[in-house]
Amino acid sequence: MTGKLQKAVKRLWKDAEGFVLPALFGILIIAFWEKKVFHALLGVKVLQLPIPSRITAVFLENAHRMAPDSLATLNTALSGMILGSLAGFAVALIATMFPKWGAGALTLLSAMNAVPVVALSPIMNVWFADAESAKTAVVAIVCMVAMAANAFRGMNDTKQFALDLMKSYAGSKRQIFLKLRLPNSVPYVFTGLRINVAAAMIGAIVSEYFSPASKGLGYGIRNRLSTGQFPLGWAYIIAASLIGIALYAAVAALERWATTHRQV
Amino acid sequence: MKTGSLLSNEKLIPCVWTIGLAVLWEGVAFILAEIVQDQMAGMRLPYLHDILITLFQNAGFLAGASATTLSRAILGFAAGAAAGFLLAIAMSLYSRLEKALYPYLLLSQMIPILGLAPVVVSIVRKAQIGPYTIAASDITRVIIAGYITFFPVATNMLSGLKSVDRDKRNLMYSYAAGKPTVYAKLMIPFCVPYLFTGMKIAAPLAITASILVDSLGAAEGIGYNLTYALYTGAYPVFWASVLCSAALGIAGYSVAAFFERICLPWKTAVQKKEAGV
Repeated sequence: MTGKLQKAVKRLWKDAEGFVLPALFGILIIAFWEKKVFHALLGVKVLQLPIPSRITAVFLENAHRMAPDSLATLNTALSGMILGSLAGFAVALIATMFPKWGAGALTLLSAMNAVPVVALSPIMNVWFADAESAKTAVVAIVCMVAMAANAFRGMNDTKQFALDLMKSYAGSKRQIFLKLRLPNSVPYVFTGLRINVAAAMIGAIVSEYFSPASKGLGYGIRNRLSTGQFPLGWAYIIAASLIGIALYAAVAALERWATTHRQV
Repeated sequence: MKTGSLLSNEKLIPCVWTIGLAVLWEGVAFILAEIVQDQMAGMRLPYLHDILITLFQNAGFLAGASATTLSRAILGFAAGAAAGFLLAIAMSLYSRLEKALYPYLLLSQMIPILGLAPVVVSIVRKAQIGPYTIAASDITRVIIAGYITFFPVATNMLSGLKSVDRDKRNLMYSYAAGKPTVYAKLMIPFCVPYLFTGMKIAAPLAITASILVDSLGAAEGIGYNLTYALYTGAYPVFWASVLCSAALGIAGYSVAAFFERICLPWKTAVQKKEAGV
């Protein structure tokens, strides 16, 4: 009897471990932070590294003030991501239609992707009179390249036998594209989207650091920190992280829906 | 017939594209400056040849700034990659550690890590760094580059360690090999390709991080040149700095890819074979 009970407890623990251990680790870190252990280790003042309870309080107090900034960043990140991903997909499509030249163009495009957001942001600020469009353009450019590269791989990493089969059925280029290349690219497109979620948030926030418009989470983070409002700066960082996680979860849900839908 | 054989050359097509892009650049710059007579043409899109001339005229200055940014990025990259490597091995050794930390590794991919850059800038600048005279901005660059490198390296290395064949491990154990031997002879060599995948993702990120710190408040480096040239209206210098920072990003990736080719010659051979070259 006791043996059975022990086994049941053991099994329960094994299931729970995946939740309990990370939770314990998180609590431990927050407790150390709260009790100023990190401050002592790093020689940082509480003023510069506010303790979690203070950040939480400030976060809740200022939620209404952070909401417009969060919405602005979310708007920039989402619209830039959608525009950029669509453009990237179109580029991949054209590159697939002209494979010989397309692959070379994609190589060049990924080299252009090496231009860091920090340099892209001021260029876009002079190209667009409107600060909002400039930020969206930065995000769109960053997202376009990752999507183009992934979608192109998806459209061209087809199984050789599938391609041969299509040809043996005298499938036209159009049919091969619609029935083989396009479905094949779906998981790759989602990989691109998942990369783009993180890239879009970073692109939006970094271009807000340099944007003349005084709104958005990036502006909030930089402005609060440079004026010494450290707890509020941290609250902004937490808001940015929460939005990042929410966007990622949304894309993951979309991916699950699209991939299960396909298998019917 | 001759052009056909030339065009089939894999190396030639990117060259044609590059030249085409340069011609397009010059053309658009000409339209902006001469036909539209845009006041901001010098900033929007100056002539490519003007930028290149500026690049050569200021070669020493720009190279020095790039070297500052690059060296800090490399230092941070090396530290972050080493930490990520060690953590992945520790996590594969102790499954409890893996369970405790893995969700946080996943989470790290979703949060905008560069959002933390101003925090580190503000903390490090004001903290006392002891008797050594290391500029605060240098430490900041190393910390952020290391931090951003750490996650992709740790995640990829861990996924490598997890995909080692069970049979191979069992064989090693049946030969009574201890854990250190199993790791030295099987696990770590097996994971090298995964490690390089992580490093190739991280290298451009580390350089972006270093440039960001330059422009957030350092007094040197290529990112500082970017912002300074922009404020003083030295647009050719600004554009030359943009080209330099792009070159740094490409260099970061190429260096990682170069070491990959040295360490894993068979991988490139397999890729070439698959590609039918």
